[in-house]
Amino acid sequence: MTNSKPKYKLTDKDFNQINRRSLFGYQLGWNYERMQNSGYLYTILPQLRKIYGDDTPELREMMKTHMQFFNTSNFFNTIITGLDLAVEENEGIAGKDTVTGMKVGLMGSFAAIGDSIFASLIPAIFGALAASMAHEGNPTGVIIWVAVCLLICVFRWKQLRIAYKQGVSLVTDMRDQLNALTDSATVLGVFMVGALVATMVNIKFAWVPQIGKVSMNIQNNLDMIIPKLLPAAVVAFVYWLLGKKGMSSTKVIFIVLILCVILGGTGIIAKI
Amino acid sequence: MAWWQILLLTLYAGLEILDELQIYSSLNTPVGAGLIAGLIMGNLPAGLFIGASMQLTVLGVGTFGGASRIDATTGTVLATAFSVSIKGMSPQVAISSIAVPVATIMVELDVLARFANTYFSHRIDHLIDEEHINYKAVERNVLYGALPWSLSRAVPVFIALAFGQGLVQTIANALNGDLLWLGNGLTVAGATLPAVGFAILLRYLPIKKHAAYLILGFTVTTLFSVLFSSIQTLATGVAAANKSFTATFNGLPMLAVALLGLALAILHYKNIPLKSAAQKTVSQSNANDDEGEITDDEL
Repeated sequence: MTNSKPKYKLTDKDFNQINRRSLFGYQLGWNYERMQNSGYLYTILPQLRKIYGDDTPELREMMKTHMQFFNTSNFFNTIITGLDLAVEENEGIAGKDTVTGMKVGLMGSFAAIGDSIFASLIPAIFGALAASMAHEGNPTGVIIWVAVCLLICVFRWKQLRIAYKQGVSLVTDMRDQLNALTDSATVLGVFMVGALVATMVNIKFAWVPQIGKVSMNIQNNLDMIIPKLLPAAVVAFVYWLLGKKGMSSTKVIFIVLILCVILGGTGIIAKI
Repeated sequence: MAWWQILLLTLYAGLEILDELQIYSSLNTPVGAGLIAGLIMGNLPAGLFIGASMQLTVLGVGTFGGASRIDATTGTVLATAFSVSIKGMSPQVAISSIAVPVATIMVELDVLARFANTYFSHRIDHLIDEEHINYKAVERNVLYGALPWSLSRAVPVFIALAFGQGLVQTIANALNGDLLWLGNGLTVAGATLPAVGFAILLRYLPIKKHAAYLILGFTVTTLFSVLFSSIQTLATGVAAANKSFTATFNGLPMLAVALLGLALAILHYKNIPLKSAAQKTVSQSNANDDEGEITDDEL
């Protein structure tokens, strides 16, 4: 393989094009067989064409390589893209194995970090805030969440170039920073869940059993222990239920629905 | 429901999933859907209420990893539309009798969309094997993937809104008539379902490590919320007894509670020791530990 070293250097225009494609097209081709394969190829296809040249065997080879299975967090995918392009730009087709190894090696950990931040933490904090304000008919919380999401988009736009410039060392540097940030954000997330349990599960005991001539107000007795004991107990029960084998979130939702229809229909529990 | 409302809601349903896959503006979430559907239906509080409840119900559900998850956004759209347009369908009942079942059924259509896209992926394979690669066609076949995604949401929403009103009216009448007990039960279910979301989220978060913050968040908020609502009750009573009493008291502001949590998070962050350069080299050599780990955690 003579002349296999490509000469093309990525420009600002290229970075913008990749970011545009990543933000607006990355996951459209998501499929069960190879997940984000076509999306990954789509985001860097124009750059691959510039690096290898149209209709060369190298380009065909790399297109096939990028059509292999790939799945990671769509909030971090351009970090991997940046690392990948830095290698391909320097080594060309000779870097194929490096690129494949890097993609496979990094996609799992980025998927895990991405999910824990963007599927658990952000909804726990901003989704919960938006929901607790919306519950009272106030849309401000939704607007705050949208603003935060736009900020996140700015970061998604910037990370491609940073990854391209700094190379693989970035991943290890970032890991420590991200872990510290994630851990602190978790504190806020856990705190918010506690706050939500206390305000958003609006049910009470409505049943007032008669013992002889004395009627017993269960809810009032519970309030004297600590208010909102019933919501806390319900959350603890569902938490325990989720730990059972073969339990899915959808199943749990239906179990709670049926139990509520029984307890609510017979008047033992009522909405506040 | 006017034809333009059906049209706008259908359009939103088709675009919402593309937003979720791409930009993630959060207008694709249940609470965002509540805002938009509420605006379209002309009853913002009802939309926000249903959206908020569904948001909390699915708070911890699902990852982006690729597993299909309960589609609370579409559920919110339909529940809001019917709750506003059908007489006798309260938002609480709409949550448990419309939003939750719809959200569950929609999982099947999500699966269908993801299968449909495999076809386009194979077409790209064939295009790459051709002698002269048609690069534009490769790109087009990626973008075609938007169609199965969009249609999987837009079509069911359109059918339900255009043809489902009579059925929902019948259900609403029954729940307020012969089946009143069921209506009451569904109302309680609507109020309880957020608990499921919290529990699922707690399964994801490291609560063993951060249990203190969970207790703190719960206790502080409980005390404040009881205090605030008691003062409100008191004020209503005083205002009824004495006309010259005009002060108003609002409910507990959740943003303030969130700021308390933020302060704790900042303190926690400051206490995490920064790694020295020596430790950094160690972590570098461990960097390859999690190779090949694909996390498609499905609940």
